[in-house]
Amino acid sequence: MSPKEIMRSFALSRKWYYLIAILAIGVAEFFQVQIPDILGKFINRLKAGHATEHVVLFFALDVAMVAAAYVVAFGFGQLQIGRLGRTLEFELRQTLFAHWETLSSRYFQMHSVGDLLNHTLNDVTVVRQAMSQGMNQVTQALFLFAATLYMTIRTINLGLTLVSLIPILLIPLVIVVVGPQVRMRSRRVQEALSNMSELAEESFQAMQLIKATSNEPVELERFRILVEDIVDRQMHLVQLNTVFQAVLPLLSGISFVVGLVYGGDLVIHHHISLGSFVAFTAYLSMLVQPLLQFGFVINMFQNASASLMRIQVLLAVEPDITDPEHPVEKNWSGEISIRDLSFEYPGSTPKVLDHVSITIPKGSTLGIVGRTGSGKTTLLNLILRDYDPPANTVFFDGTDIRDMRLSDLRELIAYVPQDGFLFSTTIGQNIAFSQPTVEPEAVERAASQSRILETIQSMPEGIDTEIGERGIMLSGGQRQRAAIARALIKSQAKVLILDDSLSAVDTRTETEILKVLRQVRGEKTTIIVAHRLSALRDADWIIVLDKGAIVESGLHQDLLRKNGIYANLYRIQAGGEPSHG
Amino acid sequence: MVNPESEAKREVAMGDSASAMRHLVAYARPYLKEFLIVVALVIVYILTQVVQPWLIKIVIDKDLIVSHPLLGPIITIGGLYLIITIVGLFANFMQNRRLQWIGQRIVRQIRVDLFRHIESLSMRFFDTHETGRLITNVSSDTNNVSMFFTNFLLSVIQDGLSILLVMGAMLLLDWKLAALSFLVIPVIVIISVLFRKKLRESYRFTRTHFSRLIGYTAENLGGMRITQIFHQESKQFDRHTELNQRYTKGNITEYRWSVLFNRTFDALGNLSVALMVWIGGLAVVHHTIEIGVLYAFTSYIRQFFGPINSLTQQWNTLQSSMISAERIGGVLLTENEIKEPEKPVVLRQRHEDGQLELAGEVRFNHVSFGYSPQKTVLNDIDFTVLPRSFVGFVGETGAGKSTLMGLLTRFYDVNQGSITIDGIDIRSFSQRDLHRAIAIVQQEVNLFSGTVADNLRLFRREISDRAVQEAAEIAGADEFIRAMPGGYQAWLTAKGANLSLGQRQLLAFARALSLNPKILILDEATASLDSHTETILQQGLTRIAEGRTTLVIAHRLSTIRQADRIYVMDHGQIVEQGNHQQLMEQNGHYAELVQKSAPDTVEASD
Repeated sequence: MSPKEIMRSFALSRKWYYLIAILAIGVAEFFQVQIPDILGKFINRLKAGHATEHVVLFFALDVAMVAAAYVVAFGFGQLQIGRLGRTLEFELRQTLFAHWETLSSRYFQMHSVGDLLNHTLNDVTVVRQAMSQGMNQVTQALFLFAATLYMTIRTINLGLTLVSLIPILLIPLVIVVVGPQVRMRSRRVQEALSNMSELAEESFQAMQLIKATSNEPVELERFRILVEDIVDRQMHLVQLNTVFQAVLPLLSGISFVVGLVYGGDLVIHHHISLGSFVAFTAYLSMLVQPLLQFGFVINMFQNASASLMRIQVLLAVEPDITDPEHPVEKNWSGEISIRDLSFEYPGSTPKVLDHVSITIPKGSTLGIVGRTGSGKTTLLNLILRDYDPPANTVFFDGTDIRDMRLSDLRELIAYVPQDGFLFSTTIGQNIAFSQPTVEPEAVERAASQSRILETIQSMPEGIDTEIGERGIMLSGGQRQRAAIARALIKSQAKVLILDDSLSAVDTRTETEILKVLRQVRGEKTTIIVAHRLSALRDADWIIVLDKGAIVESGLHQDLLRKNGIYANLYRIQAGGEPSHG
Repeated sequence: MVNPESEAKREVAMGDSASAMRHLVAYARPYLKEFLIVVALVIVYILTQVVQPWLIKIVIDKDLIVSHPLLGPIITIGGLYLIITIVGLFANFMQNRRLQWIGQRIVRQIRVDLFRHIESLSMRFFDTHETGRLITNVSSDTNNVSMFFTNFLLSVIQDGLSILLVMGAMLLLDWKLAALSFLVIPVIVIISVLFRKKLRESYRFTRTHFSRLIGYTAENLGGMRITQIFHQESKQFDRHTELNQRYTKGNITEYRWSVLFNRTFDALGNLSVALMVWIGGLAVVHHTIEIGVLYAFTSYIRQFFGPINSLTQQWNTLQSSMISAERIGGVLLTENEIKEPEKPVVLRQRHEDGQLELAGEVRFNHVSFGYSPQKTVLNDIDFTVLPRSFVGFVGETGAGKSTLMGLLTRFYDVNQGSITIDGIDIRSFSQRDLHRAIAIVQQEVNLFSGTVADNLRLFRREISDRAVQEAAEIAGADEFIRAMPGGYQAWLTAKGANLSLGQRQLLAFARALSLNPKILILDEATASLDSHTETILQQGLTRIAEGRTTLVIAHRLSTIRQADRIYVMDHGQIVEQGNHQQLMEQNGHYAELVQKSAPDTVEASD
């Protein structure tokens, strides 16, 4: 659903609330404009000199009652609209999050998290502001303006109203013209601020480097330039803002003077009463408010419509990896075969995988070796349908994985990512990520299998310890081990995939984990990508990828005998001399 | 993320932050004269505001209510009104600009000082302080502090003065009526105080839950792949719904309180007018005041509410300024543990290549060290590295290898013993000289937003393009740099997304070389590389190490096989030393390490 449709259906489903709210504000403004009129009449009665104590009390009560009616009605309407706007905000956020969940890695690779966050941070908030504050103001301003005009023209004098109105009518015009300028300049201030924050971040993160090179003075100079830039841009904004803030009251001041002189003249010539004159000065200051608001509201709605457009663009992105129309249903067992798979990432020309064919029988272990950028991770991503492989290239039990239900495929695979991404929940919740209802014993078993249990037990709150953003409380090796536990707990999976998942673990632990894997994998088909050949000890078959193609394959001993890339790697890692040639 | 509990604690500790604030007020002192001008301008502005109703009162009483009114005086007063308005607005305009200017200058100074101070602190500080927090200190906390000067002080002066002047005008008009009107002040204050607590609580609640919601969204955007691969979309969505609901609920509650507060104020204002109609009206009936006075009073009583309202809102500004001042003060008051020597050893620079006149002998004299007093990481380390030799350090993760290098670069100071270069304690060198003598290449490569060349020379103008290029050639980075669009002028970002790990590592080598150090440390600099890239690097390594003392920590033993000497570390101690051959013959730790890292040490593969 596009955001415009969301807004429309939202407004329609709550049309009675909106109607009542608008009505309430209308009533409120009707009451508000009575007050100067009452005061004017009061002054006339006083001037005429036949006011009694009783009359005075009557007027005072009149003011109090009308004011109370105004306050209650306005508060009610305002509250309704504000609540509705916030409910709309809720729904927009829900829609955005649900939409993001349908999009694939390709999308998240092209958009930075910060960029996407701006939509929920700013755009949604701007839309809500327009729908809540903006809507309130525009409703209030419309009614107030209409009611005030009506009162001044009917009870006071048409000519006086029109003449004094001229200067303040310029107010919305000035705001609409200057407003965007102010916004542009304040955006430039924001940019300068974020430039400075970025530099500070960069600098603080590289602190060891900076200290090791005594580069502090250079950094300070770079920082100072950006701080100076903020000051310049801020003053640029201030210049405009202060002019702006002086011109608007000046316009209303001029109106007031016109009203004073012309109104005075009318009083002298008995065209209007003194009470009307006093009421008129009150009405004039009342008129300034809605006119100021018109200008600001127009800017607010312009902003909101730009934000809405951005959200629109965001929601228009179609998920590129979806379920097939008629998914194949069967009892899956776990054989994976890849037939003549070539692949390139969209928008980049070089082939990442080049005619790769391999069959991994059910229950066997495949090892994949290759230098950085040889296509190992891409191969895994295609098996996971993280990216979509071409049709008829990747098969699960003989079925093209594109014909499987996405959730079936992913239920069948237990995966350990390279970076060991963890969520900022507890360590236990992370391990049980795919099985939230599992017994604590199962979590502990998985943790012990991946050699993280001891670490967990030494934590302040054991399994319920929060591990911070992206698992910051853990070391790289601990994160990898937790990620392995997260995969191992998925006991129903038929396939286990480890993407260089032991790189940050020391050799002793690696040996232990490999031993456990050997025991638990049972019937599971296993794929291990590794830089360190020692992680591939248990592989039934090893392939060597180079520039996207399988260049060598076989068992460890066969590969050594071939004296190719693998053998060379082996020699380097065994602590020997690389052979040149 | 805002933690409401700790914020509450902070509030209790307001007394402490007052002293922090005093510390920061020092930044405003140079602008005292400017501040006085601002105050003068504010007074002019407020006077013009207060005079306006008075003028209308004169029109009513002197010109309109009389039996033969004339237009002339009205025009005069209209002109006067216009002039007064213009003067007032101009004063306000000047005041505004000047104050903003002062504010900006104050923040600028605090920012620069804060940044300089943070960068001067030792690594221990960065171990215990999150980068994110420090960035907030520099960007938003400084801003909050300047709000104290530009918003809080201004409001206290402006609103305070305008209340006083309005009160004065009322007293002048009719002191009895004025005294009666003042009764409304305590009511306003009581209502503000009552609401303030609720408003603040609900505001905080909303902010806390908003940052939770945003944090959750951010994290899930980053980990969407994991959610999808583990097929947990609906669980994650439910959690999002929960957080979103809580935030929305809080947001609506907050809104309700603020509407309630504003409308109550509104009601109070109108009620006061009604009271004025009653009491003032009676006074007019009894001829104790004129109609114009009544008019002026109803205007003034409205003028009352504005400043009082804005004053109560400034409480929040004051509070956030205080909290920020305390945070900044805390950082500024942190003393640097690494002290510069009072009289540093003077080192001469060689003419031909700018290197310091040092031989490059490194010696650890019975060094012990721990990051915290309870836990020693290094225990009685004692060894000497000869000038221009190539030595390796091996051992399991956590054995203390990187700590050793951190001590040599003075990221930390030793607890016991000493470290010398050419027999001189490193604590006697100025840090600048020490860091000119030593360069370190680490596993994690930091890049800066800037060109490739700037990244290599670390933005130092004294390092020429030619020197940069030469260093890149030696490190083997020249080729791929030239292949980049823009070559040495290609733009890099901090994340360096457009570079592979290997390329980043080559840049780090080139960077170290362009600084031309006497002693070079490679701290696991090749760990994240695949073996092929490492081989390429190793070929360059011989050239890199030429004429320097080179200390290498290696994950892969192949890197240091050729070392003149290898130190094997275990649990913070050096347990073996010798060259590869000797160590293999000893058949101890080293031999075991070599064995274990071999790919085919499969114990009884079944």
